[in-house]
Amino acid sequence: MDIQRGNIIVMDRRTGKLRAGQGLLQGLKVVWDHWAASFRKNENFTQIRGNFTVEYPDERLQLPQAYRNMPVLLYDDESGHELCTGCYQCQRICPPQVIHITQAKDPVTGKMVPAATEFIIEYDACMSCGFCAEVCPFDSIKMDHVFELSTADHDSLTMRKAQLNRPISYYTSIAPDLWEGVKAGAMKKLQGNIKRRPGVIGMAPSLTEKIKARRQELAEAAAAAPPAAAPAAPAAPAGKLTPEEKAAKLAAMKAANAAKKAGGEAAPAEAPAAELSPADAKAAKLAAIKAANAAKKAGGEAAPAEAPAAELSPADAKAAKLAAIKAANAAKKAAEAAPAVAAPTTGNGTAAPTDEKAARLAAIKAANAAKKAAEQGNNE
Amino acid sequence: MIKTEELQINIGPQHPSTHGVFRMLVTVDGETITDLKPVFGYLHRNHEQIAEVNTYLQNMPYTDRLDYFNSMANNHAYAIAVEKLAGIEVPERAEYIRVLMVELTRVLNHAGALGFLINDMGAWQTQLAFGMREREKILDLFESASGARLMCNYFRFGGVVRDLPDDFMPRLKDLLVAMPAFIDELERLLRENEILLQRSEGIGILPRDLAIAYSVTGPVLRASGVAYDVRKAEPYSVYDRFDFDVPVGSVGDVYDRILVRIEEMRQSKRIIEQIIEQLPDAQGGHINPKARQNVRPPVGDVYARVESPKGELGFYLVSDGSTKPYRYKVRAPSFINLTPLGDMCRGYKVADVVVILGSIDIVMGEVDR
Ligand code: SF4
Ligand code: SF4
Repeated sequence: MDIQRGNIIVMDRRTGKLRAGQGLLQGLKVVWDHWAASFRKNENFTQIRGNFTVEYPDERLQLPQAYRNMPVLLYDDESGHELCTGCYQCQRICPPQVIHITQAKDPVTGKMVPAATEFIIEYDACMSCGFCAEVCPFDSIKMDHVFELSTADHDSLTMRKAQLNRPISYYTSIAPDLWEGVKAGAMKKLQGNIKRRPGVIGMAPSLTEKIKARRQELAEAAAAAPPAAAPAAPAAPAGKLTPEEKAAKLAAMKAANAAKKAGGEAAPAEAPAAELSPADAKAAKLAAIKAANAAKKAGGEAAPAEAPAAELSPADAKAAKLAAIKAANAAKKAAEAAPAVAAPTTGNGTAAPTDEKAARLAAIKAANAAKKAAEQGNNE
Repeated sequence: MIKTEELQINIGPQHPSTHGVFRMLVTVDGETITDLKPVFGYLHRNHEQIAEVNTYLQNMPYTDRLDYFNSMANNHAYAIAVEKLAGIEVPERAEYIRVLMVELTRVLNHAGALGFLINDMGAWQTQLAFGMREREKILDLFESASGARLMCNYFRFGGVVRDLPDDFMPRLKDLLVAMPAFIDELERLLRENEILLQRSEGIGILPRDLAIAYSVTGPVLRASGVAYDVRKAEPYSVYDRFDFDVPVGSVGDVYDRILVRIEEMRQSKRIIEQIIEQLPDAQGGHINPKARQNVRPPVGDVYARVESPKGELGFYLVSDGSTKPYRYKVRAPSFINLTPLGDMCRGYKVADVVVILGSIDIVMGEVDR
């Protein structure tokens, strides 16, 4: 065979110059030289003799910045703002599918909001490929340098958001150059698209201020929320919501959410029930939808509608309160109606119980849910 | 004369010299081998089927796990296959970086393989430690560029994931100073060593015709006297720009395979030196900015092959126009080089089996996929 740019060289076998035993001695000399040199510490990579051993764990090599082991999530040091928007890019690309994200939702509209309520990475199955960090458009997920992760049990390697969160300053300390690159890239993106979500790197200071103020406000509101399910809603004098109002709104929103969820869940629950009467199912769904609407109306629109009135009469406040309570109840009712209908049907195969029964059950459950919601509001 | 009975014994699957979970069903007459059947499949992990439910990019880190010694070479073959299929261009600089990484991989593979081979002969750890030392230096470089030592996952469609870090070139040059010293020393240690000659000369002969008939590739084929190297026969990437020789053996025994591997390291070093010269002039960046990683290649099929350190590594992909390969097949050199093992071992002693197996240089991750 002909080859281009180069030759075929047939390897010489033994030269036959050496007498018996000499080859062995020659090899032994190599080993001897290495042994003799092994007492000298050597870090010069142009040489091949010496002691190159790094006495881990007492000594450690400096890891290169690009080193990747397991992914972590970043948040802003000052504001605590998490960079992740829950865009699912990383979950989608992850080859072994070990990322599980729960997207945050706006309780009123049910629309997605750019944040993740839960973020789980199964470290035990992660293959450290780094794709998640590569695709993240918000530079939220980055590869950590910590590699001593051994545990005695498997479950503790399922990392939740709280365990994954790291401040940006931590990442800049392990990979300063890479972070510079991130900043440069983010700045470019920001200039092109100012809508890019707040709290990200390279954001204008004025925006940071605004977000901080808003955050403060929200925290105060949450702290002031009373434990009752639907507290009074004295309308705000000027556009801004008072804490009580907010709490009311929140409760209403949650109720609406619950209602919606129930609506969503009703469908699969009904599927297995072979003889479910269509009327019941329909009624349940309808109730759910109505309740959701009512809740929305009461919570969402009550406040803005009353806002222009500088001083609200007590009667109005009362009405608002009432509406909120009613809405919450209706929503809960609807929420529980669906499962209540579905469950017994599967048992005996006959028609579902009457709507009245379902409604009553729903009412009880709704009250519970409302309480829970209120508590959550408090905690937040 | 004492008449002995034929006996069937198992070597492996759990055996330190079988380089993984590999079983050999050996029929022996006394110490002499009359038959040997390789039994694979203990490390089967459904690689090809998994690849068909993954997107094209998601398969890249899985190819690392085929021949875990040479993740860069595996990445290269797969990247070339997908680029051919989707019609993605690779900038010149990226090609040079790729070839640089693959040639470094060849050096580290052979350094390790020879170490393990000498290990199998009974020189426990000495040569292996020398080989591993050089290998670690190269892995340091890989780590600084790709972020990982073994599972590099460095290649992307249209280039590599990031450019070489600033301290890469000085460290590479340091390494190139040490490399000839290492290779020469290796030769002094092995070449004329009487014990090694006893264990390797005339052992495990694979005749030229048989090697071709079994479609063996890589150093094993070249040691049998066939000057076949994919880099020369069908130059891919930028291999047509480098001067390098193809070493071949004359007998096709274990000794020839050792010599061929030593010489291949020298040739790889030559290529790396030429890369260092030509890299600054190379056009383009480390990746084609227009290349989409989420590829959706047109309907069609493709076979792309590279000369991995173990032989011809090929990927056969069929696209049905979606984001996932419809069919994904790996032509694994370790697997095909292992098939003539029975013929290579027949007539030799039991103690030679592990040496012959070591001289083929297999990685079970690739054999069983
Ligand atoms: S590093 Fe790879 S495997 Fe691990 S979570 Fe990220 S994408 Fe998934
Ligand atoms: S890609 Fe980034 S922003 Fe999107 S979900 Fe993942 S971590 Fe969050």
